[in-house]
Amino acid sequence: MSVAIKADNLRKIYSGNPPVVALKSASLEINDNEFFTLLGPSGCGKTTLLRLIAGFESITAGELCLYGNNISNLPPEIRPVNTVFQHYSLFPHMTILDNVAFGLRRLGTDKNKANSVAQEMLDLVHLGEYGARKPDQLSGGQQQRVALARALTPQPKVLLLDEPLSALDLKLRQAMRSELKRLQRETGITFVFVTHDQEEALSMSDRIAVMSAGEIQQIATPDEIYERPANRFVADFIGDANFYDAVAGKHKDELVEYIIDDITSLKGQRVESIKENDKVTLAIRPEKVSFVKAGDKDTLAGTVSDIMYLGNTTDYLVILQNNETIKVRAENHHNGEAIANVGEPVSLAINPAALRILKK
Amino acid sequence: MKKLFNIIDQYKGVLPSALMVGIFMLIPILIIVVYSFMIPNPNGGGRTGFSFDFFQKLFFCRDLFDNLVFSTGYLKIFFRSMWISIIAVIVSLLVGFPVAYYIATQNADRRNFLVLLITIPFWTNLLIRTYSWILVLRDTGLVNSMLISSGIINEPITLLYTEGAIILGLVYTYVPFMILPIYASLERLDIRLIEASRDLYTTHWGALRYVVIPLAMPGIIAGSILVFIPSIGAFIAPELLGGGKNLMLGSLVQLQFSSGRNWPFGSALAVIIMAIVLIALLIQARNSRKNGTEIVH
Ligand SMILES: Nc1ncnc2c1ncn2[C@@H]1O[C@H](COP(=O)(O)OP(=O)(O)OP(=O)(O)O)[C@@H](O)[C@H]1O
Ligand SMILES: [Mg+2]
Repeated sequence: MSVAIKADNLRKIYSGNPPVVALKSASLEINDNEFFTLLGPSGCGKTTLLRLIAGFESITAGELCLYGNNISNLPPEIRPVNTVFQHYSLFPHMTILDNVAFGLRRLGTDKNKANSVAQEMLDLVHLGEYGARKPDQLSGGQQQRVALARALTPQPKVLLLDEPLSALDLKLRQAMRSELKRLQRETGITFVFVTHDQEEALSMSDRIAVMSAGEIQQIATPDEIYERPANRFVADFIGDANFYDAVAGKHKDELVEYIIDDITSLKGQRVESIKENDKVTLAIRPEKVSFVKAGDKDTLAGTVSDIMYLGNTTDYLVILQNNETIKVRAENHHNGEAIANVGEPVSLAINPAALRILKK
Repeated sequence: MKKLFNIIDQYKGVLPSALMVGIFMLIPILIIVVYSFMIPNPNGGGRTGFSFDFFQKLFFCRDLFDNLVFSTGYLKIFFRSMWISIIAVIVSLLVGFPVAYYIATQNADRRNFLVLLITIPFWTNLLIRTYSWILVLRDTGLVNSMLISSGIINEPITLLYTEGAIILGLVYTYVPFMILPIYASLERLDIRLIEASRDLYTTHWGALRYVVIPLAMPGIIAGSILVFIPSIGAFIAPELLGGGKNLMLGSLVQLQFSSGRNWPFGSALAVIIMAIVLIALLIQARNSRKNGTEIVH
């Protein structure tokens, strides 16, 4: 598996007063033929990283390689990389076909050849009959697909997509997700996809880089990001989690007692790098907590304080004996009745394997 | 009849302005058209009567024996005017486009300030501004004395009273009319389109050629016509900077009404200029209709 993009301590400072450090020091490797996603909250530097790869911004420090070639100082027109812009940026004075054929034409392909490739690409995004129209005669979703076709036609080594779905309504967005996945498979082009929608990221990506405040927090597969978040930010940003400060206790075989306070402690797996008395943060996904019968071993007792019905599941807020709150997510019964009612005493169990131990 | 009332009712809002245009524009134009067919009066004005005198005068003149012979004198002036105006348009475009592009790429505050700067020349009288060009261009003027004192030339080069000086004067006077419409179309241009173009393998120049210029075309055409129209009838620059040597249509018209004492001929020339302007405007109208969907965004 070859590496498509390698970023080495990439740093970007926007000059200005004051200067903005948009990217602190990002290192990552994106594999050939991978659907790679940059995920993070607004302003964390996703677009900046993408624009550095495309060549629209100059690199402040660090190095960027594309298939082993240093491209740090190449202008965008030299880089075999194309972008699908968030606002599509279709050329309003050209027909759809001319838009899609534009890249190939500028690379020197003759008109007939470029047009026939463009037509094929339009067919691929189901817009074969729209070639003669102008961009303003298409709907937003159609323009989005034209932007995709335009960027794919020159067969770039890497396709960059900056929140390409954010302007579409929910149904269209969901349809486009599988469409994008399909295109990526069929073309075999490396996709670098920017989004701040975690569901989008989890469902489409081969790997995800979670970013925050100009730094990459974790790079991993979707299930790893969700099941084994590297730190509190990742655990919090992706999905729901309960967090508790705790101190590592003595270990018994591979299990460690993590002490939250005098009356509460949770059993979890032993982590190599964490020693006795180290301070840790415990993270528990709400759906990994289960209601059990009172009196079972290793249970937490509490009282239901609030219930939120979510359709297929229900969230229960439970106040534990130490006055901490824990969110529990449970699937609904067949008849939709709540498992417990507000004010009812309950017992909770957490499988040690489900407890994430994060270093502080 | 009822239909007529309906129409009047429908357009009664524009009636006052229609009257204004009618009285102050259409009637004078009509007078000029009527004059062009009258018989010249040596004391000025025109005698009632009907003649194609102007038409004859345009192409023929009388030789020593009072025979009509074909003469290109006036035609030359006509074509020189066209030629000089077209060059003025081209130079204005070459100067105006980069300026407009520069302004359009600045931030909003600076943009407004720069647009204000462009309009500053209009605050002083054109005659005075054109006179000051004489001081710059004449043999003992700024340019020549600087070139001589820096040793580049020994003898002053003739700058004043040349066609070049006229073109300079026209460009200087009318280049704001080129800059402003181009600026208006560039300002609306989405800068991200340039990025999209760069992304699709064009250089800076390619982006200019394939994206910026096509999208600025309505502004370029409007600006060209706005420079061409006043240039073809220009009077001050050809008189002062051309020294009356290189006669242009505007000067010719002025001449007919003053020392030439041939008002009908002057009127006819004015009608010809008007016809050229009209043609230019028609081209513009067709162009903007064609680009209508692209301009409106
Ligand atoms: N041209 C610029 N000049 C100065 N600062 C900038 C510029 N572009 C972005 N920034 C700043 O850099 C930081 C990162 O911006 P960036 O656009 O990369 O964020 P993002 O992750 O794409 O956010 P979003 O999800 O909102 O698009 C932000 O603080 C932003 O204000
Ligand atoms: Mg962004």
